[in-house]
Amino acid sequence: MYDIQLIGVSKTYTGSNEAAVKELSLNVERGSIVTLLGPSGCGKTTTLRLIAGFERANKGQIILAGKTVSDKNTWIPAEKRGIGMVFQDYALFPHLNVFDNIAFGYRESDKVKRVLEVLDLVGLNGYEKRYIHELSGGQQQRVALARALARRPAVVLLDEPFSNLDADLRVAMRLEVKRIIKEAGATAIFVSHDQKDALAISDQIVVMRKGIVQQIGTPREIYQYPENKFVASFVGQSNLIEGVIGNDLNTVVTSLGTIPCQHTHCLCEGEEVCISIRPDSLEMDENGHIEGTVIQFTYTGEAIDAVIALDQSDGTSQKLLVHIHPEENIKIGDHLRFKILPNFVAVVKNE
Amino acid sequence: MNNGFLEEKKHKREIQVRGFLRTFFSIGINFWNRIWRGNAPDFPLFIFASVTSALMGLPIIYVIWRSAFAGKDRWVRLLDTRIPTLLWSTLSLGVIVTIFALIIGVSLAWLVQRCNIPGRKAMQWLLALPLVIPPYVGAVTYIIILGPRGWIRDWFGSSPFNIYSFWGAAFVLTMFTYPYVFLITSAALKKMNRSFEEAARAQGLTSYEILWKVNLPLLRPAIGAGAILIFLYVLSDFGAIAMLRYNTFTSAIYYQMGSYDNLSATVLSMVLILVTLIVLWIEARTRKKQKYYQTTKSYKKPQLYQLGFWKVPVLLYMLAVFFLSVVLPITVLIYWSKLGIEAGALDQRFWAYGWNSIKVSGLAALACMVLALPIVYLKSRYKSYFTIFIDKLSYSGYALPGVIIALGMIFIFNQYIPWLYNTPTLLAIAYVIRFLPQSMQSADSSLNLISPSIDEAARSLGFAPLKVLFKVIIPLITPGVLAGGALVFVSAIKELPATLLLRPPGFDTLAVRIWVETSESVYHLAAPAALLIILVSIVPLKWMLSKY
Repeated sequence: MYDIQLIGVSKTYTGSNEAAVKELSLNVERGSIVTLLGPSGCGKTTTLRLIAGFERANKGQIILAGKTVSDKNTWIPAEKRGIGMVFQDYALFPHLNVFDNIAFGYRESDKVKRVLEVLDLVGLNGYEKRYIHELSGGQQQRVALARALARRPAVVLLDEPFSNLDADLRVAMRLEVKRIIKEAGATAIFVSHDQKDALAISDQIVVMRKGIVQQIGTPREIYQYPENKFVASFVGQSNLIEGVIGNDLNTVVTSLGTIPCQHTHCLCEGEEVCISIRPDSLEMDENGHIEGTVIQFTYTGEAIDAVIALDQSDGTSQKLLVHIHPEENIKIGDHLRFKILPNFVAVVKNE
Repeated sequence: MNNGFLEEKKHKREIQVRGFLRTFFSIGINFWNRIWRGNAPDFPLFIFASVTSALMGLPIIYVIWRSAFAGKDRWVRLLDTRIPTLLWSTLSLGVIVTIFALIIGVSLAWLVQRCNIPGRKAMQWLLALPLVIPPYVGAVTYIIILGPRGWIRDWFGSSPFNIYSFWGAAFVLTMFTYPYVFLITSAALKKMNRSFEEAARAQGLTSYEILWKVNLPLLRPAIGAGAILIFLYVLSDFGAIAMLRYNTFTSAIYYQMGSYDNLSATVLSMVLILVTLIVLWIEARTRKKQKYYQTTKSYKKPQLYQLGFWKVPVLLYMLAVFFLSVVLPITVLIYWSKLGIEAGALDQRFWAYGWNSIKVSGLAALACMVLALPIVYLKSRYKSYFTIFIDKLSYSGYALPGVIIALGMIFIFNQYIPWLYNTPTLLAIAYVIRFLPQSMQSADSSLNLISPSIDEAARSLGFAPLKVLFKVIIPLITPGVLAGGALVFVSAIKELPATLLLRPPGFDTLAVRIWVETSESVYHLAAPAALLIILVSIVPLKWMLSKY
């Protein structure tokens, strides 16, 4: 059962030649959290606004909870779509207190009970008389979420909800927001440009670039098996190395040697591809067959981020970013050997 | 969203007729959506705003229209005789007043902002005080001092300076308009990126060289804006110029109407409109350049120039300006008010005039608060060429002289709506046309502080756009709207030319009494009304000081 369905949706803004969203199709299962992830200008916010009803698609169909809200002949405006929305700047009404903000769109008779219920859900009991300017950023975020959830919407849309929070609060709110949405049983779409937010909170991630979906998958799929170079380098750090699919279809032949890979996307033997090796999947090992010299390193506390120049027979230079355990003591010029953990190597299309 | 309303309607019709109508309709809706970039406003709101702005532009358009039918003979005759003289007298006065207001305004701003003057803080607002004295009230005070029945003649037997002259008008207008230049230049000096001055000093330039090579070039946009403001004011001023018996386009139009030659008045108006539009066009061009100048938001305390030996003459200069533009006029008014009150000037009639002023001005202020909202809301939330046009059109009565507005209104109401002619309501309508943009600016600045996502939040919670306006936007911008209403109120109390031309017979306001009593040299009756108007004008001073 899908709560949100987008079928071939395209949107080009007036006065612009390039489509903000191109032929986007997406199914979101009831009760799941999906994040639209991408750099600014990738069309993620436009997609959210199309679903919310603040923009109208030029093409395609949008179905919310089984009801078509936008296609060639149908247009349900935002106020009749019954969605909940959390804005980047929260957009709380400054002239109303917390209670009235949350109750703003609620028209049932059990208003007081429901408001207290959602206040409890977001952990703000006792704050109903406060005005918005008397709340901290994290509390405002909770009120915004409570307001969006009060009407029991089937769909909640969140536009960069964490971008106004400082680092510590951000980590805490990720968990908190995920708990609240799951407890409320809503289907949620997040928009984010932050991969950590996306990986932490989502059931599914949709990576977008220039209005086109690059990959849809679970956080693990996106991180471990990126399908193209963009996804590999946008979500986490990655070393991209060119190679050719080997004859057993489970290896890739590269200048580093023949590397075993699980997901090969059913590409044929001899096809030119790239492999993406995460810095974490290179492990220091006396017997490893990848050998290189440390040319640069940064101690971050959690790890040592080092750049290794490989010793290659054919004279070309290849650099690799590796994460080394922070206990190791390394210096520039050290010769090190590494082995590859096969599960974190992905084959990506060489486009 | 109205969009949705149209779409639903469209759907129903499709079922009914299909075929031809379907294509026809979808073309129409696509076109409508394209105008609004897919975001069409609420229909009632749109109609309301369009009608308002059309009414604002109507008097001017009607004057232009009528001037086209003034007849070739009349045009030729006026072009041969009156127009060249009037152009010369108007433009020369404009240029002289602009030059002197710039010299005084810029020099005072620089001295106050950048030199070690004692009492700098107080000077900053004391020197802006002449803003509360309408130039025609200033003219009254100088007629009392220097006029043929004035103090100077009483004391010395003859007046050394004829106030009823070009230089008299130039002096009065300069003294009561320079604060605009002073405020704009002060604001620019405050915002100026101090690093430029420090860089110049690091390069070894002296203070004097920095003033000429760094400060003044950077101030050019501010000075230009001030100059255009002053010049436009001189083009539109009627009260001070007519009281000082000088002749410019505005007074010529007024007297032409007095002698019931309204068609000649349209011809003169047409020329004045053209001159004004040319100045506005120059302004628009210079404003485009302005944004290339780098300013900072953070205020650094300026490093003050030590004046040393020059401190005394500089202080004397500043005090002289303050004396001539504030102390002397107010003293004169207080003195004559005292005489007037002792002679029983504050009688029932006086309060009746005051009540008349309050009534029409209050009505206009209320109307402006209501009418400004849809235009401002459309402009801010549904930006399109059409809303920009509506917004610009609403400024026509504000940008052009009051006599022309009055002329257009006389034509229209006399001919088409006679039952409103000669009523106080007509006066209130004239004030709305003249001052609506003041309430628009005020509402606009508070609306701009509200993020559009507030609107969207309310819509996502199930409220249609019009309901969002009433439940969220209006409660939030009420302070700004009220401030705009107060501004309109004060401007309307001070308004002279349209009031003189459009008031019903026997309906006198404070401004009208000042005009009548001064022209009859009954100063002790003019002074209390003038003083009252100045007191009312103090209300929005704080707002005006913060605006620049």
